[in-house]
Amino acid sequence: MATATAADGAAFQPHIGLEIHVQLNTASKVFCQCRNAFGDRPNENVCPVCLGYPGILPALNREAVLGAYVLARALGCELSTRTVFERKNYFYPDLPKNYQISQFGAPVGRDGGFTAEVDGSPVPVGIREVHLEEDAGKMIHAGDISLLDYNRTGTPLVEVVTQPELTSATDAEQFLEEFRRMVRFLGVCDGNMEQGSLRCDANVSVNRAGAGLGSKVEIKNLNSFKFVRNALAFEIGRQAAVLGEGGAVRVETRLWNENRDCTEPMRVKESEDDYRYFPEPDLPPFCPDAQFLAAVEERLVELPLARRHRLRGQHAITTQQAAFLTAEPDTADFFERTVAAGGDASLVARWLGADIRGHLNQRRETLAASHLTPDRLAALLAMLGNGDVSGKIAKQVLAKVIAEDREPEAVVEEDGLRQITDAGELLPILERIVADNPRVAAQIAAGERKPAGFLVGQVMRHTAGRAHPDQVHALIETLYEPARNGGPGDHD
Amino acid sequence: MLTGVIDNGRAAATVAWSAALAGEHGAQRWQRAALAADAAINGFVEVDAARDAARGDGHTLAGVPFAVKDNIAVEGFSLSCGSALLRGLTAPYTATAVARLQRAGARVVGKTNLDEFGMGSSSEHSCFGAVRNPWNPAVVAGGSSGGSAAVVAAGLVPFALGSDTGGSVRQPASFCGVYGLKPTYGSVSRFGLVAYASSLDVIGVTAADVVAARVAFEAMRGVDQLDQSSVDYPEQAPAPERDRPVVGIPDGILDGTDPAVRAAVHATRERLQDAGMRCVPVELGSLDYVVPAYYVIATAEASANLARYDGVRYGVRDPDAAAYGAADAEEMTIAARSAGFGAEVKLRILVGTYVLRSGFQEQYYQRAQRIRTLIRRSFEHAFGEVDLLLMPTFPVPPFAGGAAGLDAFQQKQGDLFTCTANLTGHPALAVPGIVDGGLPIGVQFMAPYFREDLLFRVAESLAERYEAPRPPAYLGPHALLAAGAAPAGEEG
Repeated sequence: MATATAADGAAFQPHIGLEIHVQLNTASKVFCQCRNAFGDRPNENVCPVCLGYPGILPALNREAVLGAYVLARALGCELSTRTVFERKNYFYPDLPKNYQISQFGAPVGRDGGFTAEVDGSPVPVGIREVHLEEDAGKMIHAGDISLLDYNRTGTPLVEVVTQPELTSATDAEQFLEEFRRMVRFLGVCDGNMEQGSLRCDANVSVNRAGAGLGSKVEIKNLNSFKFVRNALAFEIGRQAAVLGEGGAVRVETRLWNENRDCTEPMRVKESEDDYRYFPEPDLPPFCPDAQFLAAVEERLVELPLARRHRLRGQHAITTQQAAFLTAEPDTADFFERTVAAGGDASLVARWLGADIRGHLNQRRETLAASHLTPDRLAALLAMLGNGDVSGKIAKQVLAKVIAEDREPEAVVEEDGLRQITDAGELLPILERIVADNPRVAAQIAAGERKPAGFLVGQVMRHTAGRAHPDQVHALIETLYEPARNGGPGDHD
Repeated sequence: MLTGVIDNGRAAATVAWSAALAGEHGAQRWQRAALAADAAINGFVEVDAARDAARGDGHTLAGVPFAVKDNIAVEGFSLSCGSALLRGLTAPYTATAVARLQRAGARVVGKTNLDEFGMGSSSEHSCFGAVRNPWNPAVVAGGSSGGSAAVVAAGLVPFALGSDTGGSVRQPASFCGVYGLKPTYGSVSRFGLVAYASSLDVIGVTAADVVAARVAFEAMRGVDQLDQSSVDYPEQAPAPERDRPVVGIPDGILDGTDPAVRAAVHATRERLQDAGMRCVPVELGSLDYVVPAYYVIATAEASANLARYDGVRYGVRDPDAAAYGAADAEEMTIAARSAGFGAEVKLRILVGTYVLRSGFQEQYYQRAQRIRTLIRRSFEHAFGEVDLLLMPTFPVPPFAGGAAGLDAFQQKQGDLFTCTANLTGHPALAVPGIVDGGLPIGVQFMAPYFREDLLFRVAESLAERYEAPRPPAYLGPHALLAAGAAPAGEEG
């Protein structure tokens, strides 16, 4: 973080507030029946309503309102008992009606708070308001023409405005990451910043410590965590440098330029925007009833930070494992279900973080969609625990469970993968190998220990890894123990 | 004259119409006759009796032709709104009110001329030229639904749909000597009605016969999921407290009105008394602020509603093609709107933008809303004392077209009697009053919310005592049928 100081040595204090746009993952748009989806052919999901044809009217999608209330509730906001939609008037070709149906005077929620964790310390940030609005389309500039894609037009968007209480670029980045996990845990948004389903603008003002807020600069186009961190760090440094030289920071909107790694001023407007808000006459105010509020409560879940703390407290797992497990709600659910089915927590966490993740990445599958279930993983780890399979074989079984949709027990039995621990079964194999390797046998007989490993390896090879290595070691010991007892020691 | 007769659930006056247009020959015969007759009045902007097929028997409006104001969407028909900016636009969907009439058996045969976007009282502000009054081509037909009133008065269709934001159905109906219903706000879906002022707009009916108006209204009304300001229409009218409705005439309501207008109100009062109804004076408070409040609210909403017309997605980008050389989207939008909108529309957009500016809302928009509340209360109070209110529709008789008529400001002042019902949401019905100097003068009744039944009842009762004359060139279904039956006809 930039820590420039004023000429008199006084420290500068950054104040950062975020405006986070959360695209709700409802099936249809907020005011019409069109599909709410990313990546479809341009202008495929449009109708007269979302194209703002003459004569159309908005019809409010209850699921979208529910999502907005769930988010506001999870953020600890005071929920509006009568939320009002208003028209925000401005002209832009990606906004078909040239006004956006948004909220102003009576948003869905107000005065909440959300806490992130940075280096193990809580970073609480106040939430000013949560409101529901319709998203605009996309304008794509190509040379001297501009193309318009209205698929996104009218998709439900929740805007969350924080208080300017973040104080560093790292804190802001961590806050946003925690926020992203939260919306994913709530299931209201997929949190995909590359696809724009989670977007962020930031307000930054640097001032002498203790002097309150400085001149506010808005930064747009922060569509990745890295951009958030880099842009804020740059902007804090820039403002501190301006102030350090005795200058004044200009109130303006700047854009993060990812190619040049700096913020640049957007076109300067001559006057303040006047959006001429007024209540949307086409939509009556929404007054949640008891049934609606009960549905909101039903959608609430344990948030990732709380879950992270709980998992750490309940299970013998590391901080990193807890963080990995609670990065995705599916992973955390899978972990807890596997443990409930008898899986050893530490083992489950280790497997989820390593082999399982590897297979899924390779197969481009999600945990929820894969053939591995908590019961299957628990069964596999149980077989590993009681020696039915070795660690190496267990990994093979895992691969087959995931690839072939089979029960781990069935894989072990049908594919003959059970570990061989029976000395009666192992001894003939060992003897054959000893017979085939007289030189090695002689070395062991002479008291050398290293060649024993070679023999174990050969047995493993002949049993396709099924032999229990400790058992083989023990057999070798018993084979040569008498000979060694009488011979000279080899304590070199 | 078949007024008031219901035959098997169908308005007798409309039965002859479905017979007149039956079959391909009937439709063609009507089309020729309508086009010929319309040359004198310019009421239609599009005529096509073949496009919308006649529907099965047994419905209340089976085979009955009707016309639709060109600011109401009918799939495949024009939706110009009388604006050069939308000239040539074909509606991609059908308004709910129209769809319900079609389901009741009625068929759309044409779109009618209007003041651009419903803004005007004379139907002269149209890119298709002025509508002329069927009673006298030098006189305006009223507006903004002048086309829908004129084609009904001329006997080209039994009824037509209009829109009433401040009197736009009732005033032209009174100017043309026909009935004009402005229903209770919310009783007829606005989906498909091109918005002028959303909190005031209602789809209404002009009709030559009051029973036809009633049957059409009953087919259209009721809640619509696509219009969330629509409401469930109470099916059972409350039991009448009195045998005969008591009609209130607001104190001083005739002050400053034209003597012929006063004569129309007096004549109507005498007919009511003949029918055994009591007419009493009623205190209504001042109407001085009605017109200013109405224009503040209407223009504020219009400034947002008309923002979508930017030539980007539909409509004419710039009739002079200058916009194609525009440097950016803003220039293109400015060019399209400058060239596409008429002067009256531009004036209202400017006024609406002005009154919504931040810092001015308290002075204009919010003050107008408070006045609106007070006016609504005074009318609700009046309806505690009387069942209906009788008022003039317009302070002067139908006026001359062009510069010889009323200027734009005088026309707005004339909305005094009609726009009250839009501010309060009450239903109102214009009924024929007298013919004076060769021109019809209507009057209007207002009723409590959802008491359209009272309006129809009083109008049917008056129709028994006063057979409204037709203009000299009146066509009507019987003339059409006679022409078809004549030996010269081509029909078999």
